[in-house]
Amino acid sequence: MKRFSKVMFRTSSLLLALVALQPAIFASVDDAQAFALQAAEPYVKQGFQVREDYWGGDLGSGEKKAVRQQLFKGNEYWFWLGTEVDKAKVSVHVYDSDGKLAEEPDGWEKGHFAAAHVIPKATGSYFIIVSVEESPEERTHWALVYGFR
Amino acid sequence: MIPFTRRLKLTVGVLCGLAVCAGAAQAPQRINIKQLSTTVEDVVVPLPNEIFGALNKLGAVNWKQHVRSDKGPNFTERPRIALLLGTVIADGFIAVQAEDAATVKEIGQRVLTLAKGIGVGNSITPHAKAIIEAADKRNWENVRRELDRTQNSVQQAMNEVHDEKLSQLVSLGGWLRGTEVLTSVVTKHFSSDGAELLHQPDLLSYFQTRLQAMPEFNLPIIRQIQDALVEVKPLIDVGDRRIPAESVKKVNEITIRLGHDIVTRD
Repeated sequence: MKRFSKVMFRTSSLLLALVALQPAIFASVDDAQAFALQAAEPYVKQGFQVREDYWGGDLGSGEKKAVRQQLFKGNEYWFWLGTEVDKAKVSVHVYDSDGKLAEEPDGWEKGHFAAAHVIPKATGSYFIIVSVEESPEERTHWALVYGFR
Repeated sequence: MIPFTRRLKLTVGVLCGLAVCAGAAQAPQRINIKQLSTTVEDVVVPLPNEIFGALNKLGAVNWKQHVRSDKGPNFTERPRIALLLGTVIADGFIAVQAEDAATVKEIGQRVLTLAKGIGVGNSITPHAKAIIEAADKRNWENVRRELDRTQNSVQQAMNEVHDEKLSQLVSLGGWLRGTEVLTSVVTKHFSSDGAELLHQPDLLSYFQTRLQAMPEFNLPIIRQIQDALVEVKPLIDVGDRRIPAESVKKVNEITIRLGHDIVTRD
């Protein structure tokens, strides 16, 4: 009986530890995408069509990633970056193919989110630079979605 | 699925982000793109309706002229089905622009048949139904969203079974059909801004690289597309110069030819 109690206690402790660690273990790019889509939600009401596809991965603090994208003059774009990591600071900025900052000044960064607004002056390739500026985690998931109108 | 309370918190967070942090941290005005070369993701392939949206802003387009709903043959080669699927999804976006409910519904069915042909029918069935329902209600926004979801689901399902190359052919089929329509519209009513929409050299290089990595797809249509992209590249890769009317016309002829070859049995 004593042995049974011991086993039960150990099993329960293990389960409790698993529950406590669950966000860290099961957090994924999909969670980051949920945040990115949440950031996009208010813009859908303004007529932006948000792409179903998204781009994501994980980065360490201070690391950057570039996503190359074809943008069309005449369209207006918003890019939304999300992470599921609390207290992480993320950013997204857009540059043209010459490396010149191409975004409007109304981009923003806050908590789990960052956003950049582009009204392309020319049709062509642009670079969307996503960055994890600070994070309490060693690796931070990120996801980027975009919308256009 | 995010619980409601979390969604509420997130929404409040986003709104605070918009209201309080109207300005982001200062980004450098210029960066060295070459230094990014090791961290650059593949180029993102735009949806056909991104191009169509930009075209619409240049003037009224008679989308009905570009609607295509012929069923075409049933292929057995998976690369051919993937290419055709991409063009049919693009045809769906064109039918939405034309607000042609009957064609959208036919395309919904056709997409499902083709998806079954490459083994990803299960993931497409709900989207095909949603396309047909939304077309019945003439809810074009929902049709657009479902077409996007269809393409995304097809490609995800292919990637899951390591059929990334077929997934890339779906994108290529859509891009070719989109380019065919873009050049048709701009050829009829030429403008420099319209021609500029063709300035997509990195996208073209991306497709060329992907096709080169598909030696196992030893089909005439793949070789025809490869040769055609070589022809198209100098016409649209013009740097800061304008793309002339003759180049648009030439790209139109090439993409019409390819479009015909994609939907026709060898």
